[in-house]
Amino acid sequence: MRRSIAAFWVVLRKELSDALRDRRTLATVVVSSVLMGPLVLLAISGLVASLESRAEQREVYLSGVAQAPTLRNFLERQTYVVKEAPADFEARLRRSTFSDPVVVVPADFEAALVRGDVPIVEIVSDSANQRSEASTARIERLLGGFSRERALLSLALRGVSAQLLEPMQIEDRDLASTQTRATRITGMLPYFVMMAVLYGALNAALDTTAGERERGSLEPLLMNPTERWALVAGKWGAVACVSVLIAILSCFSFLPGQWVLRSDTLAAMFQYGPREAALFIVILLPLAAALAAVLMAVAIRSRSFKEAQASSTIVVLAVSLLPLVNVFDLGGEAPWHLWAPALAQNTLMTRVLKGEALGMEQVLIPLAVCIALTSVGVWYVARELHRAAVK
Amino acid sequence: MIEVRGLAKSFAAPAPTRDGGWRAWVRSRGKPAASAATSSVAPRIHAVRDVSFDAPNGRITGLLGPNGAGKTTTLRMLAALITPEAGTMRVDGIDVVARPREVLARMGVLSDSRGLYPRLTARENIVYYGALHGMEREAADARAQDLARMFEMTALLDRRAAGFSQGERMKTALVRALVHDPANIVLDEPTNGLDVLATRALRDSLRWLRSPEGGAKCIVFSTHIMQEVERLCDSVVVVAHGRTVATGTVPELLAETDERDFEEAFVKLAFVSERAGAGAAP
Repeated sequence: MRRSIAAFWVVLRKELSDALRDRRTLATVVVSSVLMGPLVLLAISGLVASLESRAEQREVYLSGVAQAPTLRNFLERQTYVVKEAPADFEARLRRSTFSDPVVVVPADFEAALVRGDVPIVEIVSDSANQRSEASTARIERLLGGFSRERALLSLALRGVSAQLLEPMQIEDRDLASTQTRATRITGMLPYFVMMAVLYGALNAALDTTAGERERGSLEPLLMNPTERWALVAGKWGAVACVSVLIAILSCFSFLPGQWVLRSDTLAAMFQYGPREAALFIVILLPLAAALAAVLMAVAIRSRSFKEAQASSTIVVLAVSLLPLVNVFDLGGEAPWHLWAPALAQNTLMTRVLKGEALGMEQVLIPLAVCIALTSVGVWYVARELHRAAVK
Repeated sequence: MIEVRGLAKSFAAPAPTRDGGWRAWVRSRGKPAASAATSSVAPRIHAVRDVSFDAPNGRITGLLGPNGAGKTTTLRMLAALITPEAGTMRVDGIDVVARPREVLARMGVLSDSRGLYPRLTARENIVYYGALHGMEREAADARAQDLARMFEMTALLDRRAAGFSQGERMKTALVRALVHDPANIVLDEPTNGLDVLATRALRDSLRWLRSPEGGAKCIVFSTHIMQEVERLCDSVVVVAHGRTVATGTVPELLAETDERDFEEAFVKLAFVSERAGAGAAP
């Protein structure tokens, strides 16, 4: 037993230094998984900032300003600047080169208003043009205000109380804390960290199994008097270590990303400090272990690295797609989410971002699932090792 | 000392691609009788039918046979990589199937595939195996140095294996197999890919390992090259079609076949066995 444990450390050390010498692969993983997250965060913060400045600008684009002096008067009283929309605004909205919705006023707007007809005013935006879409609600509210004012005025002229029109009053009360609101934007952060874990494990897992077969070094390796489990456990330990290392890099890469956001309101909402990073790593440890074992189990059946890459696609796909259940918020949080690896970790990390406490059950279920996956994976690799060596 | 008695091993033949896989499966769905018949006579490749030999200490025993004779399969069974269907193998009196790890600790095997880790240096490749054999790193390193001197590859030791030539890889793999100073040395076609000088150096090293100063090792090596056997082996085991067809020294085998040329003698032995094998197959 003591010799097997010694052998485990020997294998672990060798595989680890071997994996860390694969500089080119490591560099690719670091660039794609570690730098990607902060960059996307930066891009999103840029978008949020542009939306905010648009809201501050208080501008409304009208097509046919001259035909609607009443509306113009109302808007200007709301301290909005009214501008004539460009002639080709439809085409420009479609091409996303124009980012404000346009209010189209019909030619006989004023006359219809006076006659008591109901003129039709269009708010033109393109739902594929996200920035124009974002301001639509604001314009709608604004025009709604205009309608209400007109109605109230005509009622007042006839001596009717304005309250008849509004038998009840509606007030908004938002339960979300600043942090919960922020997760709508930072919700993709756990996803990036998870990809870092996955791609960190992928290459090392394939190299220690299928790669070893392809090089023809598995057969001589098995001719050493080492227990099979010590060999497999050492390899698995090294793969899990590499994966955790990438995860740590990725988790901490968001900390400097935050400094860049400082000028924004987003930065105020974005609660991600060293404590959150540390919690992320604790949550990801079991996932890294399980992914290492599962990827090795899939790859040990393949004769070459290339073949292993093809067959591991299904694992990569599952880990990439499952968290999307959360990102797209399909049906809210369900109890089964905790039983699905990757999705469970995503759920837990989202909770950390929201500043919510983690319950015992929420920690134990994903942990148990990961331990089970790890055991099955390692057992399977140990079982297949000899067959793989001679085929 | 290595003793092998009545070894046998067969493998399921890979299904021919055109009739194999789901097509065959779908077809057999409709015909249960036919599927039962095919599975009962599923072709098997008898890689090794009956191989026996003794390799005493302080001698070099050559396993000579044409390609596909079952040499590699025999050596893989000896290294406990695959389990035989019949027969016994003992190394220094220890049964290979029952106590494989004890056997492997006493054996240095240069197998058919001899891959190195390209990102490690030759020294790291060698010391890794030493450590797996339970050696201290310093001891393994010192041994690597000694063996490297013997195989004239000291300059290679601290280079990464990625750019090694065939011969350099071969030498590194050989040193790696010998790092724990095993009493029994098993080499599968060790001269493959070596040039004349390297082959000579290997021969000298093996002769030294056989001598009392070198530790009087028990050396078994497989080959299909006659000259190797003539120049090096104390005794020869001729294997053809998975069977041991003749055993003895080179002069004994020449006398047995009444030939003066060893190549002729070998062809005669293998050819005779081929006819016998063909007759015995069904």
